[in-house]
Amino acid sequence: MRRDLISYAIFSLFLFFMLEGLLYAAIHWWPAFTENMGALKLLAAPLPILGEQINLVDKLGAPAYVAGQHYFKACNILGSTAAVLFAANAIAGEAQRGTLEVWLARPVSRLRLYTERFVMGQLAVGIPVFLSSMTVPYLLETVGTSMHYTDLLRCSVYQAIFLGTLFSITFAFSALGQQPLKIAFIFLFLTIAEFAIYMVKTITHYSIFRWADIQTFAAIIGSNTMPMDRVAIMLAIQAAAFATGFAIFRRRNP
Amino acid sequence: MTESSTIPQAPPGPGSIRVRGLSKSFGTNQALCPMDLDIQGGGIVGLIGPNGSGKSTLMRSLIGLIRPDAGSVWIDGLELKGDGRNIRERLTYAPGEMGVYREMRGRDHLDWFLRGRDKATLARAQELATGFGLPLERRMGSYSHGMKRQLVFAAAMGPDVPVRILDEITEGLDPSRRTLVTESLRKDALTGTTILLSSHHFGEVDRVCDRILFMRQGQIIADTKASVIHDRAARLLRLTWNSEGPAQSVLDALPANSYDKARVDGTELVLELTQPDPRPTLALLEKLTDLPAPAQVQFGSSTLKAIYRDLYGVEGT
Repeated sequence: MRRDLISYAIFSLFLFFMLEGLLYAAIHWWPAFTENMGALKLLAAPLPILGEQINLVDKLGAPAYVAGQHYFKACNILGSTAAVLFAANAIAGEAQRGTLEVWLARPVSRLRLYTERFVMGQLAVGIPVFLSSMTVPYLLETVGTSMHYTDLLRCSVYQAIFLGTLFSITFAFSALGQQPLKIAFIFLFLTIAEFAIYMVKTITHYSIFRWADIQTFAAIIGSNTMPMDRVAIMLAIQAAAFATGFAIFRRRNP
Repeated sequence: MTESSTIPQAPPGPGSIRVRGLSKSFGTNQALCPMDLDIQGGGIVGLIGPNGSGKSTLMRSLIGLIRPDAGSVWIDGLELKGDGRNIRERLTYAPGEMGVYREMRGRDHLDWFLRGRDKATLARAQELATGFGLPLERRMGSYSHGMKRQLVFAAAMGPDVPVRILDEITEGLDPSRRTLVTESLRKDALTGTTILLSSHHFGEVDRVCDRILFMRQGQIIADTKASVIHDRAARLLRLTWNSEGPAQSVLDALPANSYDKARVDGTELVLELTQPDPRPTLALLEKLTDLPAPAQVQFGSSTLKAIYRDLYGVEGT
């Protein structure tokens, strides 16, 4: 448990610093972004999806910009990568290392071992999203604008649920597999492919990132509420992935 | 096929192990044939068998690591249920093969092994590990294979439990460390702990065992006292000729009361003598001047392969 906590805390801290670094750079570029809005629109013209996003930022201002830079770009890319890597290694890593047998042979129930890893992984991915989001108002002040903590909190909850869903699905496969690298490669490839699909106008609606894009976060900020139907679906997927993974794990031979 | 006349049936009580109808298959491979087993509390029981004979599968099934296809297990009078956590609180287990977290220090790894145990357990395990001369402040990546095995052994010996299940615990240890390990086991058994110890080397752990179970192809083919095996192995006389024929002729010529069991295998005649001294039998052979003299005479049998072949008439390895 202690070893797991330290391990997850280190990776979580690393993710936080990565997100914070990107956020710091992005917010300090905000004044230049607004000044060059016209040129950016022209540049994005050949890419309709990108153009829509820039138009949204132009219309809604800094909150949409933060949604785009922090949630849609940084959290989605780095967060989903972290979610896949944490989850792929969670159980399959023990099998590959040869520690699975002793891990299971201790007087601790499998449900507890499984749940601990699941929860720690979810927190390791979600906490950096929250922490980095909480620094946004301070950073925005340095460039002469502002944003409410409650909006950021709501966006963070939604983002954490989205990343948690990716984590849960990968985690279920980790409960089954023995090769974390293979699992990680497959899910990273799928995640990157989904992100690539998002940018293609004709097939963008097949991308899972439609559920965590600028429009989604802008709507959360604008309406002061989360899309509860999507939240319910994602939580249901997480529950199903948890249950399926555990059903496999409880019968797993070391 | 099981030879178990010397071992009494044990009621499930403190430190006991009881198995009923336990079986396990992996695909088409029957790793454990349906088996019953009773081990009384206290003492050391050796589980001997070649690689792939089902020793590890049996041990893993006893602690709930592997779900058997059928059968029941009681440890220390308690039935194994669910994922076996209730059982694992009453025993320790050391696997035959295992990896480690290379980045962890020995002390932390010991702590990790002993999760779910009380703090006194960790202190005892650390004391034992220190007694082995293990550098607990060093990272596991710098440990040799033998040092890792000793750390696992220290972790398995730390908890105050009625049963210990140790898979190939002396594997990879040098002779002096093996002696330390076997001495620790003997001392522990004297306090009433039941130790189930596996090995694929006869003559290594059997010296500390009170009872030995021989496994082959997922079955216990013999269940007897270690002293009986040693006594029988010490009375084995193997005669080898350069051609087939003399072996059967010599057997026919020998008086039946000069041996307990005899087996002809091509050019070999294996006799389990009635007495530990082979000289009277060899003197009888000398008198059989019309038959060719054996090319090789071997007395006593110590390897696992030889014991399987000579005592149980099966190829064990």
